[in-house]
Amino acid sequence: MSPAVELADEVLAVRAATGDTTAFETLVSRHEGRVYRLACRLTGSDTDAQDVLQETFLAVYRGLASFRGASRFSTWLYRITTNAALGHRRARRRRPTESLEEFLPRFDEDGQHTPEASELRAASQADALLDGKLLAEEARSALERLPDLYREAFVLRDLEELETSEVADLLGVDAATVRQRVHRARLMLRGYLSHLVGAKT
Amino acid sequence: MTADLTCRRGVERLMDYLEGVLGAAERAAIDAHMAGCPRCVAFVEGYVATPRIWRAATAAAPSTETAAALRRFLAARR
Repeated sequence: MSPAVELADEVLAVRAATGDTTAFETLVSRHEGRVYRLACRLTGSDTDAQDVLQETFLAVYRGLASFRGASRFSTWLYRITTNAALGHRRARRRRPTESLEEFLPRFDEDGQHTPEASELRAASQADALLDGKLLAEEARSALERLPDLYREAFVLRDLEELETSEVADLLGVDAATVRQRVHRARLMLRGYLSHLVGAKT
Repeated sequence: MTADLTCRRGVERLMDYLEGVLGAAERAAIDAHMAGCPRCVAFVEGYVATPRIWRAATAAAPSTETAAALRRFLAARR
C-alpha cells in the first residue's frame, strides 16, 4: 500500500473483512473522533459516549463481512453509532427535563415578531457575548432538554452536517419530517440563546 | 399573497425556504416580506447562527485514555 494514496473507507472495509488488521486500525483512527463526538452529542454523557465508541467499532468489526458497500461506509457507521447511542439513552433512567417550549418565537395578534430587531439579533452574537465554558455547558444541557426526535435530527443534520436525505435514510423517516424536526429544534435553541444573553426571545 | 405574509408564516416556512424546497410563489412572498422587515432579518441571523454555535460548543474529542481504552477493548475481542 502506497503511503501517498489515501484509500477509500470502502476499500479498507473490504481489506479489513479479509483479516487485514492494519486496514481496520486505519478505519478506527480515521473515524473514532467523529463517532465519539456524535455519541457525546446524542447521549449527553462522556461515559456513555466511551461505551458507544467501543460498541460501535466492535459492531463494525463483526459486521465487516456483511458490509457490502451497498451504502457509503460513513452512512453505515453513523447508523451503528446512532443506534448504539439511542440504546444507551433508553437504558438510562433520566431525570425529567424542563421543556424548551417557552423559548419558541413570540408573535402579536397580527403575526408580527413581538421583540424588536435588536433583541432578535442578540442570539446570533451569543458565542461572542458568553464565556466559552459556560456556553459549552449550556449547549450540552439544552440538547438534553430537546425532545428525543428533535435532538436526533438536529444533531445529525446541523451538528454532523449530513444531508437532509441522508438523515431521513438513517432515521427511517421522510425528508419533510427531518426538516420539521430540525426546524423545531433550531427555533427552541435560538430562543434559548436569546435567553442566555438576556434578550427577549 | 405578498401583502398577507406575516412574520409568523415566514418563520413557519423558514427551514423549507433555506433548504430551497419552497415553490416560487411562496419563496417570492418571503423575499418580499424580508425586504421590508428588519425583525425577520434579525431573527434569521440568530436562526442560522444556532447550528454553528452548537457545533462549536459541543465539539468533544476523545481523550488519549479513551482512545487507548478503545484499542484495548477491541484487541481483547478480536
